[in-house]
Amino acid sequence: MNCKEFENASALYLYDELRGSERAEFEAHLAACAACRARLEESQRLHRLLTDCPRPEPTPDLLARCRQTLDEALDHEELGWRSLLRGWMWSFGAAPATRAAAALTLIVFGFGLGWTLRPRAAALPVAGGEPTQAGFNPSDLSNLHIRSISQVTPDPQSGGVRITLDAERRVTLEGSLDDPRIRQVLVDTMKGYDNPGIRRDTLDALRMQTDDPSVRGALMYAMARDPNAGVRLEALKTVQHMECGADTHQGLLNVVEHDSNAGVRAAAIDALVQHLQQEGMDDAVLAAFERLATSDRDPVVRMRCLTAVRRLQGNG
Amino acid sequence: MDGICLELTGQLGTSQPGEAEVERSLIRRAQRGDRAAFDALVRRYDQEVLRMALKIVRSSDEAQDLYQEVFLKVYRSIGQFRLESRFSTWLYRVVMNVCYDHLRRQRTRGEVQATENEDGQPDFAQTLTEDRPISNPDRALTAKEISGRLQAALTRLTPRERMVFELKHCQGLKLRAIGEMCGTSEEAAKNSLFRALQKLRVDLRDLA
Repeated sequence: MNCKEFENASALYLYDELRGSERAEFEAHLAACAACRARLEESQRLHRLLTDCPRPEPTPDLLARCRQTLDEALDHEELGWRSLLRGWMWSFGAAPATRAAAALTLIVFGFGLGWTLRPRAAALPVAGGEPTQAGFNPSDLSNLHIRSISQVTPDPQSGGVRITLDAERRVTLEGSLDDPRIRQVLVDTMKGYDNPGIRRDTLDALRMQTDDPSVRGALMYAMARDPNAGVRLEALKTVQHMECGADTHQGLLNVVEHDSNAGVRAAAIDALVQHLQQEGMDDAVLAAFERLATSDRDPVVRMRCLTAVRRLQGNG
Repeated sequence: MDGICLELTGQLGTSQPGEAEVERSLIRRAQRGDRAAFDALVRRYDQEVLRMALKIVRSSDEAQDLYQEVFLKVYRSIGQFRLESRFSTWLYRVVMNVCYDHLRRQRTRGEVQATENEDGQPDFAQTLTEDRPISNPDRALTAKEISGRLQAALTRLTPRERMVFELKHCQGLKLRAIGEMCGTSEEAAKNSLFRALQKLRVDLRDLA
C-alpha cells in the first residue's frame, strides 16, 4: 500500500470498513510511514470532533406534539376513501395476485359502470333539504376524505339506503342495496368504523341483503369481532335467521366458546339449538355444549348449555 | 434487499423472540386496519424516527413534518409489507426516502437549515441533554460554536452525501447496506462518504 492508497483507506479504517487483508496492509504501512501516521491522526481528530459534536435529542414536548398531530392525521386518514378501499382490498386476502386481481376488478368496475346514485334514489326522498350529491362517480368518492358518518338509514320497503357522512362537506349517498358499491361502503363501515351506533344502523341496512357473500362475511365478522357486545348480539340475531351453512354453525360455536359476554354466549346457544333442531344433530356442537355445561365461567351459560343438550338429545 | 440487515437503534424492543412475535402480530393487525395495533407500532419506533429527523433537519417544526410524513406513508403502505422482512429495515428505508426527498427539495429551494430557539433565532445546541458539554458554561460556547459550524458544513453537502454521512457516522451502518438502501452500489456509497468527509475536513479544519 502506498501513501495515496493509505489516504483513501484511512476513512474506511476509522469506520471499521477495511476487510482482513486490506486492514493488514493498512496497519503495516501505518507502522512504517510517519507522514501517514500524522495524516491519520488528523483524520482521527476530525472523526472525534464529528462524534463528540452535540447531536439534537427530541424533547418530550416535541415528541408529544408529533404524536398528537400524527394521531389527528391518522383520524382523518382512517375515514378517507383510501382506507375504505384498503379494507376492501384486504378482504381479498394478502396474496399479491389476488389483490392485483381485486384492483383490476375495481378499475374495470369503476370505469365500466360509471355509476351514479341519484337515479336509484328516486324512491328515497331527501329530508330537510339535505344536499344530495347527484351524479357521483368514483373519482369524486376517492377525494371525499370522510371525517365521520352521521347516519345510515335503510328503507326496508324500497330496499334503498341513505348514508350521511361528513367529508370536506356533508354529502348524502343514496342508492339501492342491490348496488354492490353501496354494499361495499356499508361492509367497510361495519368492519372498520369506530362508532357503535353507526355500526348498529349499518347492520340494520345489511340484514336486508344476507344472500350477498360480502354482507354475510361482514355479519359473521361483526358477530365474532365487533368490540361492542350490543352490536355483536344484533349481528348474531341476523346470522341466526340466515340460511344455515357450515360457516354459520362454526361461527356461532366460536361465539359460544369465546365471546366475553355471557348474554351473547347464551344467545348463540339458542341460535345453534334452533339451527340444529331444523337441520339435525351436529356432534361437535353437542360435545361443546356438554363441556361448557360444566366448565363455562357463567352459571346462566352452564344452565343454558345443559338445557340445550337435553333438548337436542331429546330430538335425537 | 432481503440480504441486508438493518435495525433502528433506540427503543426497539424486538430483539427477544417473544417481542418479535408480538411485533408480527401488531403488523398483521395493522394490515387489517386495526388502528390500535398501528399506534402500538408507532410507539415502538417513533422516538428513533424523530431523532433521525432532527439530525437531518435540526428544526423541530421540520422534524415534526418529517415524522408525520414517515408514519403516514407507513400507514398507507403497511398492507404491502411482507412479514418475512424486518419491519425496522422497511421503516428505515421509508425514513431515508422521506429525509432524502426533503433534503433535495430544500436544496432546490436554496434553503439553509437552522435550529430555532425560543425567540425564533438560530440555535444549533438547543436540544442538548444535560450530560452534554453545554451543561458546563465554558464548554457550552465551544459546543455551540462547533455545532453551528458542523451544521453549516453539513448543509453544504449534497443530499446524497448528507444521507450517506448520517447513515455511516451517526447510525453506524455498513456501506454495503447504505448502498442498498440508497439504491446504489457499495462503491458509490463509499465515494459519497469520501466526498462528504473531504468537504467536512475543509470546512472544519481549524476546529479539528
